[in-house]
Amino acid sequence: MSRRVLLHVGCPKTGTSYLQDVLFRNQPVLREHDILYPADRFDAHFLAALDLMTLPWGGIETEAVGAWDRLAAEVREWHGTSIISHEIFARATPTQVERALASLGDAEVHLVLSVRDLVRQVPAEWQENVKHRSHITYAKFLRTIRDPDRDSRIGSWFWAVQEIPDILERWGSSLPPERVHLVTLPPPGADRGELWRRFSRTFGLDGLPLDLTAERENPSLGVPETSLLRTINERVTSIIAPPDYRPLVRETLAHQTLSRGVSSARLGLSPEDHAWARGLSERWIAVLAERGYDVVGSLDDLLGPDAGTFANPDAVTADELLPPALDAISALLVEGARLRAVEERLHGELREAREDLERARATTAYRARRKVVTTLEGSPAGRGSLDAYRRLRGRKG
Amino acid sequence: MTASATRPAGSVHGWVAHLRAGGTTPWLAWTGPDDTDATTRRALPGAQQLELLRRINLARESSARPGGDHDRERSRLADRVLAAPAAGRGKADLPLVGAAPTGFGAQPVDPATVSAHELLRVASTLLADDLVALGADPVRRGVPRPWRRRFRLVGDPLVVASAREHLLGRGRPEGGPRAFVVAVGGPLDDLLAHTWTQRCFEHGSRPWGDWLRFWRERDQLPARVDLDDSVRRWGGRRPLVRVVTDLDQLPAHLGVRRLPEVRVPGADQAELARRISAVVGIRVPVAERPALMRTLQRRMPDSGVAPVVVPAAEHAWVASSAARMTRRLTRAGYPVVGDLADLAPRAAADRPGPSGPAGVDGRQVLDLAIRMIVDPGWRTSRERSVER
Repeated sequence: MSRRVLLHVGCPKTGTSYLQDVLFRNQPVLREHDILYPADRFDAHFLAALDLMTLPWGGIETEAVGAWDRLAAEVREWHGTSIISHEIFARATPTQVERALASLGDAEVHLVLSVRDLVRQVPAEWQENVKHRSHITYAKFLRTIRDPDRDSRIGSWFWAVQEIPDILERWGSSLPPERVHLVTLPPPGADRGELWRRFSRTFGLDGLPLDLTAERENPSLGVPETSLLRTINERVTSIIAPPDYRPLVRETLAHQTLSRGVSSARLGLSPEDHAWARGLSERWIAVLAERGYDVVGSLDDLLGPDAGTFANPDAVTADELLPPALDAISALLVEGARLRAVEERLHGELREAREDLERARATTAYRARRKVVTTLEGSPAGRGSLDAYRRLRGRKG
Repeated sequence: MTASATRPAGSVHGWVAHLRAGGTTPWLAWTGPDDTDATTRRALPGAQQLELLRRINLARESSARPGGDHDRERSRLADRVLAAPAAGRGKADLPLVGAAPTGFGAQPVDPATVSAHELLRVASTLLADDLVALGADPVRRGVPRPWRRRFRLVGDPLVVASAREHLLGRGRPEGGPRAFVVAVGGPLDDLLAHTWTQRCFEHGSRPWGDWLRFWRERDQLPARVDLDDSVRRWGGRRPLVRVVTDLDQLPAHLGVRRLPEVRVPGADQAELARRISAVVGIRVPVAERPALMRTLQRRMPDSGVAPVVVPAAEHAWVASSAARMTRRLTRAGYPVVGDLADLAPRAAADRPGPSGPAGVDGRQVLDLAIRMIVDPGWRTSRERSVER
């Protein structure tokens, strides 16, 4: 069987978490059909991306040592099709792309890029920034990414992982266009299964008995919920370290609590920003059409939906913030109570361990020596004697 | 040539070859031909890598270290620089102004204008790889002397780390039953600066200004700086505790005649170590990083730059924190060697040093990094030791 590698390098916010979860949970079934998704943990390919790109990531990178080389070695040894998937690969530089492709050996490499229109990507990326400790306002975020200099960290990252023609140039310039597969996300309102059908077709998964239950997704937040989270970040980003922020704010607050506000207004673009995004998308569509890639879906999907009613997240009132704020307080109190229970249990275990240690030390000789020392330590004269004894022994030693 | 003039793609490859051969001509002044074979061209590095290589070549020129393996060594170093990623989530590799534009990607730049921060992202990757290749210096462990006074050192991390290592070399590892808890104190602003500095040489840290802000906004002290909390954490009971603020008397309380002189790394050294530590963290298992970073601490060349100091804007918070810690230690009644009044911060005007919010001059850090890349003496020499 010919060796193929399907290398899915982005983009963020294009249903990648769901795809990766399905691939991770169905590894045995995939192997039975000669498809390898080499991952010993859900985020294995994320770690490989951090390693390949030397990207410190709030401490997680310490778990990524050697992850890319291990992943590439597994892929090289596999006889059939291998799938590598993580959206932050989109940011790789030409030198890193060269290294990555070289390390996959002589397999037939296919590049996969899943893409969504800018009209939906811009608000989604701002939300993602907010879920990663940023407290930049929406207006400033838009000014930042629209600045042609791309001089800021946010601006340079946004375009590195969202500028479709540039990503494809970096990753796909050494591949024939028919081996570059562009999976477009269906427009809003499309059948919910359509995106999976496009992924399934691209990755050769049609007809496989996969468990497609959605166990892990990256849920979006409503306008007031995102605004609340941004306001919280203003207070806590400088005083909560990333290892604490991840479980307490992103998981407990954003994913498990605030994302439940499904009735809240969804974030979009103002009419002026919508026109800008549309214009840019039209230019990209023209360039991509010329390049002759394999498009799964339609390039027209990249135009995005028409402008709708714009709810400004920078102008959310205190009344609108109150319900999600109360939800947040409740969730944190419940989490605090859970952690107190864990602390209490650990204290109990420590007490037991100390008691065991004391029992183990309770030999006659130990008790006798300890009694002598304790007696001497109890009086200044005794401490002086002990000190002199120790100094004497020390000089001799 | 003007920055806006577009040149053929081969021109960039010609400039890369020029730099690889030790050239120092800036990109905008480069008029040389494309002398590379188009079939063997590799991916173009970014302006960060190219400008760093040019600066390294300039430094090599001035250091003038001829030798038999000079050319081979230079090419090997050049290839490493060109392939080194700019660590972290900053800008990806930047294209050169005037090179054939693609219409997409980052704005092209004149490499000569690339900031020290950007160049340091590449330089720290190179130095981290050097350090990993060097490996950790062996830890000296003397013949155990369990009869000697046992101790547990807490407090000033620079002093404590140095003393701990010295005592281990004399067969006296830390800890054991009924160990004396020796809390090493000093002016709180010094303790904070020393703590951040030592963190840079262990697991890394936030930048100096951000780190200070983290603690000030929490109105807490880092665990190692909070002497009272440190003593309690180790279960210190009054007769077996010494709070030492007079460092001249510290050796006596550890049962030795003298301790090695404590070398306080300069702000540039600490900042460079902080950056290197972040890359080392992604190169070796987490448990190996402290030993490597201690090796770097011992071997990093001096530059004469002053250590970081707490900026005047933070002085009120430091003073109130010192007063609070002094009250707690007084109430606890621990024996004090020296005077708890010494925990009060010294006036900011008393000390020279980089105290601004960033606390560190990026150009000084870059100078040190380039010096360490060009001169491998810190890697090839035997580890140094400083004795008082």
